[in-house]
Amino acid sequence: MQSTGFIATIKREIGRLTRRKAYLFAMILVPLGVALFFLSLMSEGLPLKVPTAVVDLDNSTLSRNLTRSLQAQELTDISMKLDSYHEAIEKVRNGEIFGFFYMPHNLEKDAVAGKKPTITYYSNMTYFVPGTLAYKGFKTISVTASGLMAAEKIVEVGVNESTAEVLLQPMTIDLHGLGNPWTNYSYYLTNSFVPAALELMIFLVTVFSICQEIKTGESVQWLARADGSILKALAGKLAPQTVIFFIVGMAIDALLFKFNHFPMNGSWGAMILAMFLFVVACQGFALFITCAIPNLRMALSICSLLGILAFSIAGFSFPVEQMYGAIGIFSYILPIRYYFLIYIDQALNGIPLYYSREYFAALLVFTLAFLPLVPHLKKNVARPVYIL
Amino acid sequence: MIRFFHNIKSWTASLLRVTANEFRLVFKDQGVLLFFFFLPLVYPVIYTLIYNPEVPRDLAVAVVDNCRSSQSRELVRHIDATPEIHIIGYASSLEEARRWKNEKACYGILEIPADYSHKLGRGEQANVQFYSDMSLLLRYRSFMSALTDVQLATGAEIRSQLINDAGIIGQGMGGTPVENQSFMLGDTEQGFASFVIPGIVILILQQSLVLGITMLAGTSADRRRRNRGYDPEQVDAPVGATILGKTFCYMFIYIPLVLYIIHFIPVMFNLPHIGDLWDCFLFVMPLVVASIFFGMTVSVLVKEREMSLVVVVFTSVVFLFLSGLTWPRYAMNDLWVWVGNAVPAIWGVEGFIRMNSNGASLAGNWHPYMAMWILAAIYFVTACLVEWCKRRRAVVQNERYLQNG
Repeated sequence: MQSTGFIATIKREIGRLTRRKAYLFAMILVPLGVALFFLSLMSEGLPLKVPTAVVDLDNSTLSRNLTRSLQAQELTDISMKLDSYHEAIEKVRNGEIFGFFYMPHNLEKDAVAGKKPTITYYSNMTYFVPGTLAYKGFKTISVTASGLMAAEKIVEVGVNESTAEVLLQPMTIDLHGLGNPWTNYSYYLTNSFVPAALELMIFLVTVFSICQEIKTGESVQWLARADGSILKALAGKLAPQTVIFFIVGMAIDALLFKFNHFPMNGSWGAMILAMFLFVVACQGFALFITCAIPNLRMALSICSLLGILAFSIAGFSFPVEQMYGAIGIFSYILPIRYYFLIYIDQALNGIPLYYSREYFAALLVFTLAFLPLVPHLKKNVARPVYIL
Repeated sequence: MIRFFHNIKSWTASLLRVTANEFRLVFKDQGVLLFFFFLPLVYPVIYTLIYNPEVPRDLAVAVVDNCRSSQSRELVRHIDATPEIHIIGYASSLEEARRWKNEKACYGILEIPADYSHKLGRGEQANVQFYSDMSLLLRYRSFMSALTDVQLATGAEIRSQLINDAGIIGQGMGGTPVENQSFMLGDTEQGFASFVIPGIVILILQQSLVLGITMLAGTSADRRRRNRGYDPEQVDAPVGATILGKTFCYMFIYIPLVLYIIHFIPVMFNLPHIGDLWDCFLFVMPLVVASIFFGMTVSVLVKEREMSLVVVVFTSVVFLFLSGLTWPRYAMNDLWVWVGNAVPAIWGVEGFIRMNSNGASLAGNWHPYMAMWILAAIYFVTACLVEWCKRRRAVVQNERYLQNG
């Protein structure tokens, strides 16, 4: 006679988890693998030295100086010198360069003669990050260059140099990025996409481990092991998974904040609590879907579709308040949104816990939302039917 | 010779039988229909709806004005007038503004120092501070572009005033000796949907194919497990004919979907769409073929119908980043470049964006185009190997069963 009860259900589940390699893959290898992938992919923080070109039709001291300045700064890498606009635009289309800096004939001569020649620069915005960096590099160089020439002129007329400097830039607006002054992309993307990948895998594993029992008809035995109590059965099944996912989550946090020194301006305690609540909230969400549709294929498909949509709809890249109203509300139906907001408040900005209270509460709601639907699941667990 | 023609004829006949059978299998399976039709038809629309507002407008900003002069108020008015920024109000101190930010009432704080107008009046450089929330880099980017414009415009205004006051009269004093002008290529409005959707739709093509194909393979594996390694629903045909027969079925389904995705989605949402449609269509064909063989190869990992989701879904995120859409490929290390090279959609995204958004021609994208055909050839061989191994295993299983009774 096999022993029954909560502990026996846990033991049964541990046996099931260790027997299938798929669980090792989905619960540990994928989340940690994705974290390592992001960390190694964006280890430089910013993709500097954007491949760009100059089209120098002037070939004067001025144009050569400008080319040297472009080469010397870290934003752009002048990988080629081209002879015409057409050649350059063709290179953009082939993806060899992300932008180019165009200096017309007689640039220097016209500048000295006061004819105000125009420097033009082209940035390929089909790739946002390199396009923006190239634009920034081009703009800095062209503005400072014309500034320096203007300064020379003003000094020539007899104004002293310090006044000339003010004349060039009478006022500045200094932009400070709070928490991430380096505009490090890895800090920004890794912190949102890796937890979202963890969420996806928690969804899949939770649904899979429960509905698999229904599919194979083993759910009867599972329920019997838990003395016929569905809550005990669920607790016994999910508790070992909670522990594993929480450990994986903490490992991810350690990788980011400890070993890679991602900004952690708040308390570790808040982030550990957030990770725990996030794990159980994801399990709760998946359980909610499972209770509503206790069919392996359907529940798994819905969780995949939502889990993958979470990367966009949760508003990591495009602000939720800027989305269409009817679309924006959907960002609030997924646990990752709240974990992301807690991360912003607690780790990035390090503000008092008080401001994140609602997000913690929301994670709790996700954890418990499945309860009213449990009877529906129990019916299917007790009498499993697999529809092919 | 006659025998040779006879062989070709029977081979073709078995291929067509496989195609017909595959159509039957696809259309009776709701899960596969979900991936083959729902995903490519609906997901591009959902994604575009999410990003379609394109650029953040009227981001909430609080002001801490320690100067309280007409100049400082004018600066605030200028900033409020930019499309990117909306001033929500004046905070009495930085402390209060910070509290607004913590409550998410604003995402930026403008702090004007007490000596702002004094410095301007004395002909010294004045510095204003702006603190930006960094949770989303898109907000920071919008702030940066708005503030740079304001700084240049305000600077020019003050300059001409200073020059007038000082009585300096000189040729070209009012402006700079060299003008500069910037042009944005491809995504001219710098909109987010215009930037991200052309890449995502190509990835959807590959991923939906891989998901559907691995799910069909997983279902077939379920049947094989119950029938000593044989799948009763599969047509008896040579390995090559089986692979190509299935491919014909998927191609037939995907050709209209490809047209929808590369033409109607950009037209419906007014996204960049300047490439030649026929060129784009031809370009996407090897992507579809390579993705089909890629999916058949990956299905070696899927031993059970539902495992297809566990194995495939998360790779979408990895592939999205390998494509270089967010983090450009020139900045990746060799390992990730080569992993990316092995995935058809990575070439597809790269080439399609250039053609669709930058107006490149098919001839200009020879490199990614050929790369996808090479991948198609490689994955065709591996797909045949996978199919061959399945059959081999069935034979062994059956012999063992017969021996043991």
